[in-house]
Amino acid sequence: MSTGEFVFEDGIISATCEKAGDRLLVKIGEREYLFQPIGENLFSTNVNGAACIIGVVEDGGTYFVDIDSVLLEVTEPSEDGFAGGAGSLAGEKDKVFAPMPGKIVKVLVGVGDEVAVRQSMAIVEAMKMENVIVSRAAGRVKAVNFAPGDQVDTESPIIELELGE
Amino acid sequence: MDKLFKKILVANRSEIAIRVMNACRTLGIPSVAVYSDADAKSRHRLPADESVHIGPSPPRESYLDIEKIIAAAKQAGCDAIHPGYGFLAENPAFAGRCAEEKITFIGPSPDAIALLGNKVASRTKMAGAGIPLIPGMKGTETDLDVYRKAAETAGYPVIIKAAAGGGGKGMRIVHDAEGLADAVDAARREAKNAFDDDTVYLEKYIVNPRHIEFQIMADHHGNTVHVFERECSIQRRHQKIIEETPSTALDNDTRARMGADAVRVAQAAGYTNAGTVEFLFDQSGHYYFLEMNTRIQVEHPVTEMVTGVDLVIEQIRIAAGLPLSDHFRNLSQRGHAIECRVYAEDGEDNFMPSTGRIACYREPTGPGIRVDSGVTAGTEVTIDYDPIMAKLIAHAPTRELAIRKMIDALHNYKILGVKTSKKFMVDVLSHPEFASGRTYTDFIERNMVDRKLDMGQFKELAVAAAAAASSFGNRRSPTSVTDSGAGRTSVWRSVGSWQVGDLIHE
Repeated sequence: MSTGEFVFEDGIISATCEKAGDRLLVKIGEREYLFQPIGENLFSTNVNGAACIIGVVEDGGTYFVDIDSVLLEVTEPSEDGFAGGAGSLAGEKDKVFAPMPGKIVKVLVGVGDEVAVRQSMAIVEAMKMENVIVSRAAGRVKAVNFAPGDQVDTESPIIELELGE
Repeated sequence: MDKLFKKILVANRSEIAIRVMNACRTLGIPSVAVYSDADAKSRHRLPADESVHIGPSPPRESYLDIEKIIAAAKQAGCDAIHPGYGFLAENPAFAGRCAEEKITFIGPSPDAIALLGNKVASRTKMAGAGIPLIPGMKGTETDLDVYRKAAETAGYPVIIKAAAGGGGKGMRIVHDAEGLADAVDAARREAKNAFDDDTVYLEKYIVNPRHIEFQIMADHHGNTVHVFERECSIQRRHQKIIEETPSTALDNDTRARMGADAVRVAQAAGYTNAGTVEFLFDQSGHYYFLEMNTRIQVEHPVTEMVTGVDLVIEQIRIAAGLPLSDHFRNLSQRGHAIECRVYAEDGEDNFMPSTGRIACYREPTGPGIRVDSGVTAGTEVTIDYDPIMAKLIAHAPTRELAIRKMIDALHNYKILGVKTSKKFMVDVLSHPEFASGRTYTDFIERNMVDRKLDMGQFKELAVAAAAAASSFGNRRSPTSVTDSGAGRTSVWRSVGSWQVGDLIHE
């Protein structure tokens, strides 16, 4: 069984998940949700007696969920080694960090650029794998603190944004 | 069959480029893709035998640059170019340049494109051919009195339109005589700005019409046929969202008359290859010629689904000089087809354009389901081009079944990472007015304005799904285009850099 915390809009929700046969049982508070994996990124579940196919994928620290074509996003508040996350600094949406120490391969935006949420910002290579770091907010690029070839850690922001449209 | 062309360059991108290349491949003809900087990793490069880089991302510097396209065709040894839709498809100068270079332009002649591209010229021509026109001016005038008289004869409300354009620019609706002079001036100014041509004219404004268009196919041997109609009344800001065929408004008699008129329009214009004649159909069942589009259209798949023909293959055959295929005579419509255009726009937030990386991509499948897509997992959706990502088409024996099939297919079509208009279209299709066939061009304004989705009701379910996915190991680090979601332990990730054709995967 695993426990996790998730952020939806501005609230944090705690959930536990355990295997129940070939299905997954998720508990949030008193409520239970049963998911049947039916394919890559696809679960079947029952909502008010009707079958519902849910698509879900994690990318850049955000879970993209499609519930009968309604699109929602859920994020994890704590760092877990995946691209785009930022440990205890997760609250700072206006800064872009590397998920693990590595080397900047490419910076995809410049100072003054308007960026959208989830736009690709930089590519960081770590452990022979490339990670595309995405923005967690929309705004204008205020500062680009590193250049290709630089080594980065997880604490120093690679790119800083001025938030807002 | 013998190869009809040596090599075809597809002067377009995204789903239509892929569509054309599929037709080329069926005919055994090598195809050449063109791509801008933004499209270096686009899906439309993959089905091509070769691809040529044509410049920076802005369309003006790539897909709209006539000389770059011609140069690419010559460099690759192409003897034909298919322009797709949009971009240079209806540009007579481009068609003319192809002719000069002895490259076959897969479409009509430059003269037909020029005539039909000018709304005033085509109106005048069609008036002479006895085609029912929207009451109004047959040509353009500068004398305001002529406008006044025309407005009185046609009856208010009237609309001032630009001869050189569309898409709502250079248009003004006038409800009474007082507003006429200002409207004509304003329309002229806007037309001059948008199209560098301030020629305008006046028509009666048909309130809440249905938009019904007829597919035309004509060869170079004098054969012109229509391939029935498409109903395109579900539009938002002059942009089509949902199309279907047959139209619920037409009985067989009206269909036959409109089809015959559509053929006459094409013949009057000396038209060859594929084209579409657009009509406005008013509330009392009268139809009027609006304009003719001189290209293959976005919504052509619904026609293909109900008639079984392949319009793009036929375009290539006709351009190669062959007569109309036998299966284009004695056509009939079977069942019902609906198309939904999936845009990268947030249907829940005023259709704001959405950008981002597609993290998960799954197409729906099943009998009667067709997907024409320009995106896939890993595609970066940007704002450089039209936000259309894909078209989803459903075909079934009845309209009711087609609607249900389409709703189900939309739910099963999972595109995660960008916002889409999927839910909006589900709501349109589920609306009782749609089910009853009352589809007029004001459908969205009338029926969809007060919808508000309460996201909060899905909050827990979304979190639960995220928890399940997290636990199940659905996470993957976002990396390259080729990572189709196989997870951290995928063998593809250990392969390193690899190459197929001239497309390098990293």
